[in-house]
Amino acid sequence: MPGRTIPLKNPDRPYLALGLEGSANKFGAGVIKHLEDGSTSVLSNIRHTYITPPGEGFQPRDTALHHREWALKIINDCLAEAKVSMHDLDCICYTKGPGMGAPLQSVALVARTLSLLFNKPLVGVNHCVGHIEMGREITGAQNPVVLYVSGGNTQVIAYSRQCYRIFGETLDIAIGNCLDRFARVINLSNDPAPGYNIEQEAKKGKRLISLPYATKGMDVSFSGILTSVEAYTFDKRFRADGKPRNPNDEDIITPADLCFSLQETIYAMLVEITERAMAHIGSKEVLIVGGVGSNERLQEMMGIMAQERGGKVFATDERFCIDNGIMIAQAGLLSFRMGFETPLSKSTCTQRFRTDEVHVAWRA
Amino acid sequence: MESYQLPQFPAHLSCVHAALYTDVSDADLLRKRLITASTAEGVDGERERDALNFSFIEARLVWLFSITSVNHMRTAVYQALLAASQDSLRTKTVHSEIIWALNPTNNISEAMRRYGVSDTTTALIAVRIAGPEVLATSVEGDMDAVIKGTKASFSALPALTDWAAVKKYHKLGNEAAVRDAKNDLEREHAVVDSIVTSSVAMKSVMA
Amino acid sequence: MASSSLTLISTSTLISQGAEAKVYKAHLTAAPSEPLVLLKHRFHKGYRHPTLDASLTRTRVAGEARALLKCLRSGVNVPGVRMVDAAEGVLGIDWIDGNSVRKLLPGGAGEEDEATSSEDEEPDPVDLLHEYDISVGVLGQLIGQEIAKMHLADVIHGDLTTSNMMLRHPASFKSRHSTLRTELVLIDFGLSYHSSLVEDKAVDLYVLERAFSSTHPDSEPLFASVLKAYELRMGKEWAAIGRRLDDVRLRGRKRSMVG
Repeated sequence: MPGRTIPLKNPDRPYLALGLEGSANKFGAGVIKHLEDGSTSVLSNIRHTYITPPGEGFQPRDTALHHREWALKIINDCLAEAKVSMHDLDCICYTKGPGMGAPLQSVALVARTLSLLFNKPLVGVNHCVGHIEMGREITGAQNPVVLYVSGGNTQVIAYSRQCYRIFGETLDIAIGNCLDRFARVINLSNDPAPGYNIEQEAKKGKRLISLPYATKGMDVSFSGILTSVEAYTFDKRFRADGKPRNPNDEDIITPADLCFSLQETIYAMLVEITERAMAHIGSKEVLIVGGVGSNERLQEMMGIMAQERGGKVFATDERFCIDNGIMIAQAGLLSFRMGFETPLSKSTCTQRFRTDEVHVAWRA
Repeated sequence: MESYQLPQFPAHLSCVHAALYTDVSDADLLRKRLITASTAEGVDGERERDALNFSFIEARLVWLFSITSVNHMRTAVYQALLAASQDSLRTKTVHSEIIWALNPTNNISEAMRRYGVSDTTTALIAVRIAGPEVLATSVEGDMDAVIKGTKASFSALPALTDWAAVKKYHKLGNEAAVRDAKNDLEREHAVVDSIVTSSVAMKSVMA
Repeated sequence: MASSSLTLISTSTLISQGAEAKVYKAHLTAAPSEPLVLLKHRFHKGYRHPTLDASLTRTRVAGEARALLKCLRSGVNVPGVRMVDAAEGVLGIDWIDGNSVRKLLPGGAGEEDEATSSEDEEPDPVDLLHEYDISVGVLGQLIGQEIAKMHLADVIHGDLTTSNMMLRHPASFKSRHSTLRTELVLIDFGLSYHSSLVEDKAVDLYVLERAFSSTHPDSEPLFASVLKAYELRMGKEWAAIGRRLDDVRLRGRKRSMVG
């Protein structure tokens, strides 16, 4: 921000932080290093995803079990790859929320245990702020409008006075939730991710099916679209195998067409509300974060919009887009360097934790 | 007569000539000629159609009046030109499209009955869409040759309008806007004119 | 061949550009007596599938025009519609000669969202109010009345701000019968929709309250006079909306979010 000095000073020595993330079906750990010259380096970033069979979502209990099973192995691998020991760390950062309760708790427990074992301070991190800070770090975007799109969140965010303000958001389900649930309806694999498989399927789609288009100011809504696209699978023109029944069977709707139409519609809505926020605050930068942010069609559409406005789109690849430990380490270390710690007695987690509740002390 | 240009339209649609006639005495003849012209074949038919290539917007039946203002008329003309330039005419010609645009429903014969020339017409507006090569004086000559009446200024329109009929066509009797203005005739007319003009402008998206 | 609407726009004056539309000042015909219109062009968005883009543009132009007509019929002061080219995304409405309420109030003289034309000298709000011969209190009443009339017609504006209200300039105001020499006009129905829900009306008011407090310092008494006039005009509908407005104020637009 012009006219204001950045409160965060360059460190007097290198700082190291371990980040632990497990708010949904991924367990991730990462080690980040902040250097004296203000630069940052990712020493390691490892993740394991809990994949369910096609047609099934991940349940909190099973997901928490997955995290407990994998936590120690991933953290060990992560430290080994970073070539640091637990004793070298300045702090242990973990996801405080938002997310699914049981998985969050299992990771917080790991973090608390490590904190007590190695006498390291804890830093509870807002998952969304983690995404934003990692995105800014990787892309170098200065003051972008942030589109945060994942399985649990859909928000358009802009920074203002030490707070990430939410300009627009979903009024019902998250975009990733909409994609995941539709993937289940048409029995797409959850490996590597349902959204990824929808994207591949959409590339084969040709026919744009009319779906509701639901923006309201800077907010969006997806549940009606999900209902509508699901209803097409009961349409008499729908061919579940994607193939015409005979050479004259031309007026058909394939799963690929539905994936294509779903993507075109919901991504257009996201780009629209992002553009509205950009116009509102006069920003020319847009940063896409969150798992759905790795979708190439969304990135392409956002790029066209930014170009038409003379601006630029920043996106990260799946290493940083999809939930990971390093982003928790990054955001946690930033606030740790501003003097923030989470005392053991307060090291809880919470399923509901809004992006705009976080005091962004490190920015001007 | 008023003639004006709309340079944004293709040349053949870029000039509008419009004149208001009162005390029209031969409306029945006019109507018969229109019917004959539309059905006549060969060279004579062509000639008749040329002569009558106007859109007659009825300003006044014996007891009905229908156009509320110059803007009302110009708006109908504009939407007709737009439809013609986009190949989306709902009627046969750009001239009949003007009449169609004036009426709130999609019923063409109802539009003709309400806004087209009838036997009892005593005041009417003749509108001609043309290219720049057609001189205003020649259009005026053509109009005068077909219509027996007195040319009047468009500023005479509000007095010729049958506001009751307009309100009925557009179902305005019970609208809050009209009720609010009921003790102020001038204001009521302004309100009705604004609603009616807006309705004409947006008819293409009312369906 | 270029469409007539785009040709018209190319010869018009750009007034402002928002995220969805560019706004121009134009004459529909070259007739000497032709009044000014405001053209709102919802331009093509390259990121959208062309079919989706075309149908959205069409729907929105139509929606905005219909909301205006609904308001006109219900006696709400809004600009009349003069031209609709849904295929090209152009809406032409009556030009309102006057000032936005934003500029008439302290704190509002600054930057409008994406204005391209920087007006020469911003006039002082106090001088402007004097020019319009209107007190802040009466202004609040006018605002409350218009919004009430609109809500009684079940039209939700969706973007009530002081930028989206104008006072007609006394010089262009013709009515002889009013004691006031001006009129408050609601503009920009681009985000409007039809609803009879108490919730939607309350949120509409809440959005305006937020706009007042964020743009105009110390405007609480003014907003109180807006609400007072609104309450009076809404009659028995007010009670439920007032209660809901209190609820909305408490929760804000906030919803809690699950990760």
